[in-house]
Amino acid sequence: MKKIYFTLLILFISWNVQSQTNQTVRLTGMYLGMSFDAFVEKVQAETPYTFYYKKVDVADIQINLQVSDTEVRLVLDEVFLNTGLTYSIDRSNRIWVTKGSRLLIDFPSEYFNIQARQDLLANAGDSLGEFDKNKLFVIGKATDNPESSTATLSGVVTSIESGNPMNGAIVLEKIDFTQVATDRNGKYRLTLPKGRHTIWVQNIGGFQEQRQIDLKGDGVLNMSIEETILSLDEVIVSSGALSNINKLDMGVQSISIADVKRLPAVMGEVDVLRGVLTLPGVNTVGEATTGFNVRGGAADQNLILYGNSTIFNPTHAFGFFSAFNADVVSGVELYKGSIPVNYGGRLSSVLQVDPKYGRKDKIGGSGGIGIMTSRLSLEGPIDEKTTFILGGRTTYSDWALKFLEDEADFNDSKISFYDINANIQHEINDKNFIEFTGYISKDDFRFDPDTTYFYQNLNLSLGWRHFFNDHLEGRFTIGTDQYNFGIIGQDNPLNSFDYSFDINQLYMRADFESRRNESHILKYGIHAIQYSINPGINQPYGEESIVLLDELEEENAREISVYFGDEFTVNEKLSVSYGGRYMFYQLLGPLSINEYVEDAPITESNVIGEKTYERGKSVKTYHGPEFRISARYILDNRSSIKLGFNTMRQNIHLLSNSSAISPTDSWKLSDPYIKPQTGGQASVGYYRNLLNNKLEFSTEVYYRYMNNLLDYRSGAKIVLNHSVEQDVLNSKGKAYGVEFLLKKNTGVLKGTLAYTYARSLLKTSDEPNVEKINNGEFYSSNFDQPHHLVLVANYELSKRINTSLNLNYSTGRPITLPISKFDYAGSERVYFSERNAYRIPDYFRMDFSVNLEGNHKVKKLAHASWSFGVYNLLGRSNPYSVYYVPEGGKLRGYQLSIFAKPIPFITYNFRF
Amino acid sequence: MKRNIHIILVLLLLMAGCREPYDPEIEPTDIKVLVVEGYLDTEGLPSLLKLSYTRNIHSDEDSNQISFPSGEVFLESEEGEQFPLGSLGEGTFEFAYDIPEEGNYRLKIFTTDGNSYSSEWIKPILTPEIIDVGFEKYEEGVEVYLTTKGDENADNFLWTFEETYAFRSKIPTAYRYDPDLKTVVLATNDLRTDLCYRELSNADLILEISSRFEDQFVFRQTINKIPTGDERLTVRYSILISQKALDKGASDFWEIMRKNTDDLGSIFSPLPSNIGGNIKNDQNPNAPVVGYLSLGTVKQRRLFIGFQEILPWPRIDVPEYFGCIAEQDTILVEEYESAFMSGGYTPAIPIFCENCYDPIGFRKAERRCTDCTLRGTNVKPDFWDE
Repeated sequence: MKKIYFTLLILFISWNVQSQTNQTVRLTGMYLGMSFDAFVEKVQAETPYTFYYKKVDVADIQINLQVSDTEVRLVLDEVFLNTGLTYSIDRSNRIWVTKGSRLLIDFPSEYFNIQARQDLLANAGDSLGEFDKNKLFVIGKATDNPESSTATLSGVVTSIESGNPMNGAIVLEKIDFTQVATDRNGKYRLTLPKGRHTIWVQNIGGFQEQRQIDLKGDGVLNMSIEETILSLDEVIVSSGALSNINKLDMGVQSISIADVKRLPAVMGEVDVLRGVLTLPGVNTVGEATTGFNVRGGAADQNLILYGNSTIFNPTHAFGFFSAFNADVVSGVELYKGSIPVNYGGRLSSVLQVDPKYGRKDKIGGSGGIGIMTSRLSLEGPIDEKTTFILGGRTTYSDWALKFLEDEADFNDSKISFYDINANIQHEINDKNFIEFTGYISKDDFRFDPDTTYFYQNLNLSLGWRHFFNDHLEGRFTIGTDQYNFGIIGQDNPLNSFDYSFDINQLYMRADFESRRNESHILKYGIHAIQYSINPGINQPYGEESIVLLDELEEENAREISVYFGDEFTVNEKLSVSYGGRYMFYQLLGPLSINEYVEDAPITESNVIGEKTYERGKSVKTYHGPEFRISARYILDNRSSIKLGFNTMRQNIHLLSNSSAISPTDSWKLSDPYIKPQTGGQASVGYYRNLLNNKLEFSTEVYYRYMNNLLDYRSGAKIVLNHSVEQDVLNSKGKAYGVEFLLKKNTGVLKGTLAYTYARSLLKTSDEPNVEKINNGEFYSSNFDQPHHLVLVANYELSKRINTSLNLNYSTGRPITLPISKFDYAGSERVYFSERNAYRIPDYFRMDFSVNLEGNHKVKKLAHASWSFGVYNLLGRSNPYSVYYVPEGGKLRGYQLSIFAKPIPFITYNFRF
Repeated sequence: MKRNIHIILVLLLLMAGCREPYDPEIEPTDIKVLVVEGYLDTEGLPSLLKLSYTRNIHSDEDSNQISFPSGEVFLESEEGEQFPLGSLGEGTFEFAYDIPEEGNYRLKIFTTDGNSYSSEWIKPILTPEIIDVGFEKYEEGVEVYLTTKGDENADNFLWTFEETYAFRSKIPTAYRYDPDLKTVVLATNDLRTDLCYRELSNADLILEISSRFEDQFVFRQTINKIPTGDERLTVRYSILISQKALDKGASDFWEIMRKNTDDLGSIFSPLPSNIGGNIKNDQNPNAPVVGYLSLGTVKQRRLFIGFQEILPWPRIDVPEYFGCIAEQDTILVEEYESAFMSGGYTPAIPIFCENCYDPIGFRKAERRCTDCTLRGTNVKPDFWDE
């Protein structure tokens, strides 16, 4: 505790000192249980100082210090406290340690300023790494454009560790709060008044750096900053705090992998999607699902992208783990409000998971070993221009099942999965880059020898990034996304079957971004997708099987979208983004389509014929525009308001009769009867930073409407249904809510508090439907959970020990309950209430975790950390579902919880 | 496939989950929905139509309080010919007419509370014969199966079954204490307590579509599974399987009922469905009515399985017999009254002396261990074959 206190003290001191002068050499690191000799060796290695001392004087000194960016003199004062030793520093960076009286040397009062002046002429392109912050960089030539009072500073921000460009780093000048975020190539451009400035740069959730510049004219300043996940506290104006107010988009949430890593994990597996679930407006129907609902939308209305690849099933092991390996992800952004114009095709949200590319300096890697899973990734340069990263995960949870086999009746049960990511980046020259991302995952599980389930994702994407000139960037991508699942049943050799489903999409896209004019960022492009779905095939399995081949006709379609958007900075306070997409969708033959009596319900008895379309013939065409408009107005330095309105279209639907995404849910393309889902969202937000930007507050209100949603008639059959249009009900939806987010990004205690009040309602539409659920009134959707509160708190006990607490509360999800009973066919049966008329009990969960970092020596084989904790600390049995079963002719109600006990976990992570 | 999903559920529960009794607070809705159950035989065999109301889910099981609809019920042909059903009381009506299978019919119900109900037009379906029933023993137990074949009229099938089995008490005894004579006597046949018969009710509905198979040949459809060691196969077991051919609507109805009974509450379980049927309230067509009336013929087959056919069959104790032993001390004749009068204990194992004709005493055991009539009846069912 004393040490912690001391650490805090040092931090406090360094904070104050820093604000007075920024030009001294500073020390950062842990010096625990070191002899003075070792300490000196380390300091000499990291700083320009040389020590001179008598060994006998320092023999008794043992150093126990942890410092963070602290002046050397303060550190030495602490070291020599009560030792009778003193020291002095001369202008050649020599430190003279003496006993008793101080060695007298000439020590000019302006020493540090002189040093700064000596550096004045240093070349701005030189990289001194960490010491850059104390230097004054002179940018541009005063003679360039003498009449202008401003000049443009531009450059590239890269990572010190890997040399890669940093996407989304904030470059900021703190007097007028002029700021800009780097683009995905690490580029930034900032227009400032000429003269001296302190430029701050920070990546999201990471380290903050500063540069002293003297801006004389237009010029370039390239910066390298640390992206280490170990954020050493400073006085931080976080990037989030600035973007909170200034960012034009609304309803966008970024999560850094560092944030995700601090969250308590289930079974110790760092899970990107679980990080997403801590955001306001995002909820989930149950614990065994990482399918999520954004602002009252269904799980299939989220576009989940890894780079440019669409991931159709983002989970492993029926939802216990997300499909993303956190080691090959550089960041996650969730767009739930204003969706950028370059995304489309889903109604609710876009989850952009950014792939990580290999570091440029050396081969390195990271990995983790947990109770159920482990992972390993390797990255580095192939040659000077090419880098790679390769990551894989696998599970060995079989042992848990083996253990259970003794207790229960599982013979030969098996759960296994793996995933592999491979990303390659090649720089042809500074204008052309090639990027490749590859992802494959496979899940296999069975619980008895009879039935095996599997599913598989495969995503490949190849992109070419070309800079036509300083202002125009083009990206050309081609890729394929595949997903398939299957079930093999061998219960009885005669009835053995092999059922499978697969979806394939081939896409090409060209995206352009033009910054010709300071106040306009133009985005435009074209996006084409060729879909091909095998909606289900059931074949006999084995020679004896008498199961008949049953196959649904393949579905083919193409979708072409063009888009254009402009981010227009009207003035310092007002920015507007407007644009639109036009989507053209065509379902193609060969296909046979039932014809029904017009304006009558689509039922078997209303079939009047069948129409067959030949290969390549258009079966049905849908097209329409989508609009994207948003605006931001800055009220003052600390607050802003934003408005947005979007419309969206979605041509692909997930057929699911259960409330969670299940491994047997299949996708369906729009056809003449199942129309594209359309919808719109209007939102207003207010953003304010409090207490010197230490706290961010934001609130957003939204209203959504949705058309052509799918609900299912009673007893609907989804698997191998040749006329699925007869079993679905055309429905309308509406959702509205208000979200509050309070966030603290700085200090020893960090965290977020998110509260959402939201409703999500459905209604069978007025079209001729065979059945009107709840008599055609609005009813709660399966994920209508009005109150949702998430608290994530992170407390840093020391630089090495980090604790996290996560609280999660939400209203129970709606459920259709049995309200009465009757006797039928020799047993008591249940009669259910209206659809979703009741709710399961409220959900509340608390998780706790501790991350223990290894020591901070720069040179060592591997950097290791442990994370351990408890999921569902209170052991509350949160019901996932409630249900009734007749037992011996009597009806009994049960509630089912999935994690009804505290689940401890431990994971060992390493990095080299 | 469904079964495996249940196993997933069980697995999840074992991993960390749990299943607890649940008693939600449901508004005491006074919902009273008419329920109609019947598969009326069109070849003249007497068949039953049952009318009832749904009851509150928490209502007590006192059958005296259950109110049944009463009124008039008749079947009507398209030509207007009426076939009235005779009331047997408690909402049960009997139908016994041989009607032409080519026609379409509908049921009309006029209840005494002033409502009337009509079914949709129904075409009778003749159920094909059951080709074979049988069983097979596996490591896990015994599986009862059925083979049949669909035809152009009968494609959707529903099977239900009734089980009856003979069993012995844990400690069988041929004696009983006669409280009138105040002594132990050999039990006569109608008072014997060592061998009984028990009927089991079940909620199982087995549905299959024959056109899924080659030539509509449904081969060895699993009807029931009895796990190894189960008491049902310790003496003799009988299962009566009913086969009914259904039209598409009826098949949907039974599928919903099956789903609502079997498939709820697991991880990937489908949403519960509101059940309806083919009967509507004439006054308010939106008012719910539960039930699907079918017309046609029912085919039945009974199968017996004796314990000799499935040996070895390890016997697993039923919970009712937990801790059953015959006590070591012998109860002598003069102690009979004090030992057996209360009925808690019965004579179990007779103790004889050399050359005695009558036992000199008994070792006693708890009644629950010796008296099988506590769990069944000692009256052999009429259909019993041995």
